[in-house]
Amino acid sequence: MTQSLAPRLLGAKVKRVEDPRFLLGKARYIDDMVRPGMLHAAFLRSPIPHGNVRSVDVGPALAMERVRAALTGRDIATKVKPIVCDSTFEGFKSSNYHAIALDKVRYVGEALAIVAADTRYIAEDAIEMIEFDIDELGPVASIAAATREGAPLLHEHWGDNFFIEDLLEAGDVESAFRDAHGVFEINVSNQRHSGIPLETRGVIAEFDSDGVLTMWSATQIPHMVRTGMADCLEVPEHKIRVIAPDVGGGFGPKGHLFPEELAVCQLAIETGRPIKWIEDRREHMLSTFHAREHYHRVKVAYTEEGVVTALDATIEVDCGAYSIYPWTAAMDVEMGLVMLPGPYKIRNFRCEAQSVATNKCPFGAYRGVARTAVCFSIERIMDQVANKVGLDPVEVRRRNLIRSDEFPYMSITGMEYDSGSLIESLDKVCDEADYKAMRQFQEEARSEGRMVGIGVSVFTEQTAPPADKGLPLNFSWDAATVRMDPSGKVVVQVGTHSHGQGHETTLAQIVADELELPLADVRIAFGDTESTPNGIGTFASRSAVVAGSASYLAAVSVKENLTERAAHLLEASVEDVEVKAGRISVKGAPEQSVSIAEVARISYHHPELLDPSMEPLLEAVATYNAGPGTYANSAQIALIEVDAETGKFKILRYLVVEDCGQMINPTIVDGQVHGGIAQGLGGALFEELIYDDEGQLLTTTFLDYLMPGATDIPNIEVSHLVTPSAFVPNGIKGMGEGGAVAPGAVLACAIEDAIKPIGEVFVDRTPLTPERVVRFIEAASSGGGVE
Amino acid sequence: MKPARFEYLAPTSVEEAVSLLVEGGEDAKLLAGGQSLVPLMNLRLAQPSVLIDLNKVEGISSITESEDAVVIGSMARHRAVAESEVVRRFLPLLAESAGHIGYPAIRARGTIGGSIAHADPVSEFPCACLCLHAEFVLTGPAGTRQVRAEDFFVSYLTTALSPDEILTEVRFPKPSPGLGWGFLELARKTGDFALAAVAATVALSPDGTCSEASIAVAGGGDRPLRMVEAETMLKGNQGDDVIARAATAAATSSNPPSDIHSSGDFRRQMIEVLTRRVLTAAWGNARRGE
Repeated sequence: MTQSLAPRLLGAKVKRVEDPRFLLGKARYIDDMVRPGMLHAAFLRSPIPHGNVRSVDVGPALAMERVRAALTGRDIATKVKPIVCDSTFEGFKSSNYHAIALDKVRYVGEALAIVAADTRYIAEDAIEMIEFDIDELGPVASIAAATREGAPLLHEHWGDNFFIEDLLEAGDVESAFRDAHGVFEINVSNQRHSGIPLETRGVIAEFDSDGVLTMWSATQIPHMVRTGMADCLEVPEHKIRVIAPDVGGGFGPKGHLFPEELAVCQLAIETGRPIKWIEDRREHMLSTFHAREHYHRVKVAYTEEGVVTALDATIEVDCGAYSIYPWTAAMDVEMGLVMLPGPYKIRNFRCEAQSVATNKCPFGAYRGVARTAVCFSIERIMDQVANKVGLDPVEVRRRNLIRSDEFPYMSITGMEYDSGSLIESLDKVCDEADYKAMRQFQEEARSEGRMVGIGVSVFTEQTAPPADKGLPLNFSWDAATVRMDPSGKVVVQVGTHSHGQGHETTLAQIVADELELPLADVRIAFGDTESTPNGIGTFASRSAVVAGSASYLAAVSVKENLTERAAHLLEASVEDVEVKAGRISVKGAPEQSVSIAEVARISYHHPELLDPSMEPLLEAVATYNAGPGTYANSAQIALIEVDAETGKFKILRYLVVEDCGQMINPTIVDGQVHGGIAQGLGGALFEELIYDDEGQLLTTTFLDYLMPGATDIPNIEVSHLVTPSAFVPNGIKGMGEGGAVAPGAVLACAIEDAIKPIGEVFVDRTPLTPERVVRFIEAASSGGGVE
Repeated sequence: MKPARFEYLAPTSVEEAVSLLVEGGEDAKLLAGGQSLVPLMNLRLAQPSVLIDLNKVEGISSITESEDAVVIGSMARHRAVAESEVVRRFLPLLAESAGHIGYPAIRARGTIGGSIAHADPVSEFPCACLCLHAEFVLTGPAGTRQVRAEDFFVSYLTTALSPDEILTEVRFPKPSPGLGWGFLELARKTGDFALAAVAATVALSPDGTCSEASIAVAGGGDRPLRMVEAETMLKGNQGDDVIARAATAAATSSNPPSDIHSSGDFRRQMIEVLTRRVLTAAWGNARRGE
């Protein structure tokens, strides 16, 4: 028997094939592109959070030299339909999100007009000349302001400011609380912040004489954006082409249909000129959808052994002004509702959830939607239980986690966890950290008067999830075409998009393995609705699962075709030939063989040599549907030292155990963990989008909005467990978001632990600023630290 | 985020720059490293009609030493200040403070004169200059004049510079040998604007008591502040107690503002902590004047 000489690529630490392009500055982003006759657009954005638009006069702008066009909400009212994205859940209230505000503005930064000029400079000059008149209404800048008696209404016909109010109840909460050894309540919050990609949003739109609208956009979801555009614009979907070229970071915020995309397209349609709009950083802060702002109140019932038996929770999310496409304003509450119990075996559960409309930027997707907040809550709960029953935080988690032999596990909220290694991950991260030695180090440090703390967290990562959150579309699938050319080399076209995830490498690894080809013979193409199969896009840790599996299935199909043709050429039966290392040969007679390249050449250029039943094309399209999704899991531990006087703390160690099933490329997995932790630490320590009570955003530059830099991120020690997915081909699970989920919970736990010798305190929120940490320490020393 | 229209001028001598400044009147602005002005222009918060670029002006970026002074041209970059042999030898506090300014890219571009003339009350250089008794050479149409750091910083982003003057030189008296020093800053993250920063020097008598002290605070008010009361408390004394009391005095003398990063109360609290630590460090590295 001949063995394949090529080692398997799946699971190998292959260097990223796309890296030279990015590292040498050869990537092509929207702003690198120039179209003939292109104009530059700028938006006038509302400085007023809430008001009725009486008039917007672009006349003075249009009178300026080299200003070519301008549009207001009224100008496009009959041509561009508002973005409407309703949850299918009962009682969800619909909002009309106009590409340019029509009768009302509902947040600072909402577009009031768009101007096109010969340069961006002139366009910005022109913006300053536009005259507008807005009747101000009372600003609704918080959940409290929105739910107060007599609060001004964002969408008058609703009668209140709730997008949706939902309730989930399962098990017997009342009995569980009655029978509990102890009961307590926590009240926690996570601050509004978002993914801040290096490349801001950008759009170029062009409308040709055939009525075809082409839009280049820095988007994660070109196909879904195209559907949304066809819903809103007067251009049918088959005449819309969306191209997402190299995209400089997505993180979720670039996974939406944006009003600016529609406005730029309409301007291109009306002027017949290509229009470019590049978002500046201030616009990004004001108008790229925000995330993360959650408020949770949870009552907890637990046993003497530290086992949590019931949760009775309220989740409130400040969702801003409009429901966004395609995720709706219900996404965070619904996801929070079902994921709150997380990795723990909690069998009695009640949760009220409210998504509240406010005069703030709409609320959208960001790496780890809702899971950062629910992880913070449930982990804070575990730490409280540990304190109350006198257990180590690791031990209390071990007692509550779902055991490996209990998978597949149906959570109390109806989530189907396919597989996992929760306790094993926790044990492994403790081993890697040498937890006992860490505690000993802490004891010694404490005896020297140093403030040292250890924080731990365990969580499940729902990856490649379906559309069971009341979304108006089901996104459990994606598609790939594997197309072999006459030279026997392959282009794989996928419906997902890579903007940092390394798909050009990982998907090629999967396909090259299946087709027994070297990696260099497989190229991955994406980001153009014209040349890729219809698909969904990249978000929710889904691409490895859905695009990886669709690519795999299409490759299997192409391999079958190759084998059939080769068997015919070798005058053997299909069962008697095998594909190895670029050749197809008769089993046991390797001298009777033909190369893949030869079969491909014959297939396309000499089909007469094949059986008449065989088609020349060596190409297959496949879709893959991940059904209920597959669950990865992770455990993290941090060791910190706090400066008790300044509240600054150093992260001495940060350890992660990641179990995402079969890894395609461990280097890329580690990179995703590192990036996720960095963003998670950003949210835990620094990042915050702050509105004042008047609805003005105070954080519109990096002077105000702090991002972590390289010096703020500790060395991250990553190790792995491998629990293959129970059903995904190759045992793959997703993992892109996970790192970002736990750092807030880990650090809150560590800070409480550090402060413990002084007194008890409950860390109830992020970001953990120096001032906040000092106040926690002061509260602990005055004995008033626990609510 | 594109600036409004402006005229760009690039003089090559101080005289030419001054005359352009006079010509340009109130709407003219000087461009040094551009690390504060350019963002303000991009946000259209500053809309100068004339921008006079000092980057091609000769003779105002050198770092030299005379018998009794270290002289730094106003266009010397932060990085040049931080790495200068002369500065490191005579003014280690200044070199240390430079390391806290922003990030390498900012330090490669920003200038000491730009930072001082901008007079952000949380900036490192104004605070260090105040502590080190710097004098600023201002050149205008009538020639030059020298203003002491203490008299230069008026209030938030406001200085003693006349609209027709250019800050051309920063002069530091050479400190006496054995001067103890310290500079500490608290920022929410590395390289970010200080919540508070404290610079201090201490000279010790042969008996170990303080013969001379200088303390300056950034972030304590609308300009960098000298902590005269605290300095007076130290003179003739030694020990942790007096350091602690001086630190408390420094905090009491401060009136820091509240903003999204921190309350004024917390800043005041941090001024006390930093002052105590800086004085302890300065004491530690001061050599007794025997």
